[in-house]
Amino acid sequence: MVPLRAPSRLVLETQRHLKWRLLDPLEAITMILCGICLAGFSTSVFLDVLTRILHSPWLWLQEVTSTFFVYGTFIGAAAATRRNDHLYLSAITESVRGWPRLAIETFDRLVVLAVAYCMVYYGYINFLQGFGSFRMPSMTPIASLYAAIPISGALIALFTIEQLVNGWRRGFEGKGPAHEETYFE
Amino acid sequence: MSNGWILVIMAMLFLGLGYLGVPVAFSLTAGVLVATLLTPISLPSIIGQLFNGIDTEALLAVPFFLLVGELMTSAKVVGRMIDLSQTMIGHVRGGLAQVVTLFSMFFSGISGSSSADVAVLSRTLAVSMRKEGYDPGFTAALIASASTMANLIPPSIMAVVYGATGNVSIGGLFLGGIVPGVLVGIGLMVYSHFFGPIGFLKPRATFFQFAGAAWRATIPLVIPVIIMGGILTGWFTPTEAGLVAVVYILVVAIPALNRRHITELPLDFAKAGLLYSIPLITVAAASAFGWMLAYLRGPDLVSDWISVRAGTDPMTIMFLLVAAFVIIGDFVDAIPAIIIFMPIINKLTEIGNINPVHMGVVIIVTLAFGLITPPYGIALLMAAKFVDVKFSTALVRSLPLYVVFFATIAFCIFFPEVVLWIPKHVLPESVGCFKAPGGTGYICPS
Repeated sequence: MVPLRAPSRLVLETQRHLKWRLLDPLEAITMILCGICLAGFSTSVFLDVLTRILHSPWLWLQEVTSTFFVYGTFIGAAAATRRNDHLYLSAITESVRGWPRLAIETFDRLVVLAVAYCMVYYGYINFLQGFGSFRMPSMTPIASLYAAIPISGALIALFTIEQLVNGWRRGFEGKGPAHEETYFE
Repeated sequence: MSNGWILVIMAMLFLGLGYLGVPVAFSLTAGVLVATLLTPISLPSIIGQLFNGIDTEALLAVPFFLLVGELMTSAKVVGRMIDLSQTMIGHVRGGLAQVVTLFSMFFSGISGSSSADVAVLSRTLAVSMRKEGYDPGFTAALIASASTMANLIPPSIMAVVYGATGNVSIGGLFLGGIVPGVLVGIGLMVYSHFFGPIGFLKPRATFFQFAGAAWRATIPLVIPVIIMGGILTGWFTPTEAGLVAVVYILVVAIPALNRRHITELPLDFAKAGLLYSIPLITVAAASAFGWMLAYLRGPDLVSDWISVRAGTDPMTIMFLLVAAFVIIGDFVDAIPAIIIFMPIINKLTEIGNINPVHMGVVIIVTLAFGLITPPYGIALLMAAKFVDVKFSTALVRSLPLYVVFFATIAFCIFFPEVVLWIPKHVLPESVGCFKAPGGTGYICPS
């Protein structure tokens, strides 16, 4: 059997002990989708400006832009969960060792899992209700946008379960930092 | 249960979970979900708020400004701007420290993100500073402090988020940020000159060396001109200006300056795609938090508390808000802080009859200062890590630099006419001016 190997530059090796190789292609796919969403909405904003300058605006481009933007945000949130790239208030957990570390890391991930569950379940309810509202001018059901939340929630739940199981089996303490330092301000 | 108690539970859950290591976006959402269970609001509608929080056109600018920074950094184009800074100011006492500040001012005009600034400076100039004997603690403190200018000098992601959520002119906030940005830069240069390490004294660059460096830096330096020029002439919105800057880098800058980097562009887009989703998912969660805060009448509670003490005096209101935001900025990330507390800021702006752009600039400067204050001084944490020095050492060396920020914040509060001078003359509508009925000039609120 050919082992599944993702393009290595799209998969973060930090905290490898908390990851299954099997899910590496999924991380790579989410990263590729992030790039596609960014390129997609850059292109649609560009075409939007261009068609307005040419006095024949394509109004549906704004829907395309917001679709790429919303999906990019929620899929990126899922990718960031696997890569531990989210914004954190503190790195207290990293200074704790032994069973307290296991307890805190487990608790943290259970909280994330609970939020992910709400994103999936209540997001799905919103998705179903979204078939009653439409986006103008294409009249596409707004459910097409709301679907991003449960999809993201499902991926976040999957990646969190992966970290929980591996954390319990191998411990949460690794050689690298518990999360990547990615900052924006 | 009273609204006050629900507010306390929501806030404590957010901070408690956040400091236990739950990512900010999830700790915010968890706090809101628990609070929702204590109110008649349905859970699906709160989850829907995650979507509504990012469904704002102005926020589209954020990915573009992050992409500009990512492309410029990964294509290694910024080295030319460092060279230009060297020829301009590298010969004075503490030359490399001055270069750090001057380069940050240039780079702030491109990226709008402190993190990109810290990353570039730590991996380039910090190495040279170590060789010249600069104390690593000082290096980290200076890099972190200088990087805050990215949030003040336009384009600034904080200004985009503030403008989008507070319904304040983003162009006005951009222009209003120039004065405090330059003041912070001058303050850091003055401090480095008189109190910083001396470094190696180098000969002054000749005119031809300067002209050569300026010529080589021309292509990257056009980017701030595109961004601000486009916005000020009314040709582009901030989002479109960001897009045009991206197109310029892809079509002109990278092919002209680093053609081999073209093959790396798909990876840059993937990384930038991830990069923008992280603050925006936090924006989404913070919007739901802010919505619940408003539902529970939190803004009324806080603004009543402040207005009882400050009355309608704008100075006192601002000082109390600044004091609150210095504390908030110590513990909470700037972007969620802006969104969560926006209803309170808006209410107090109204009570004190303060110009919204002025208030925005003061809040943004205060939150930018929060990037170098413990325990959540993210720019300082990052600089200390990259420069390989203890956070506590960098913190001690950054304490004297706090004076620069206190002075800048106080200046912004006491001299609104100076802060608003550029927006008033360049983009009068942004600060509430309107065209005179006769068609000549503008009438502005006093």
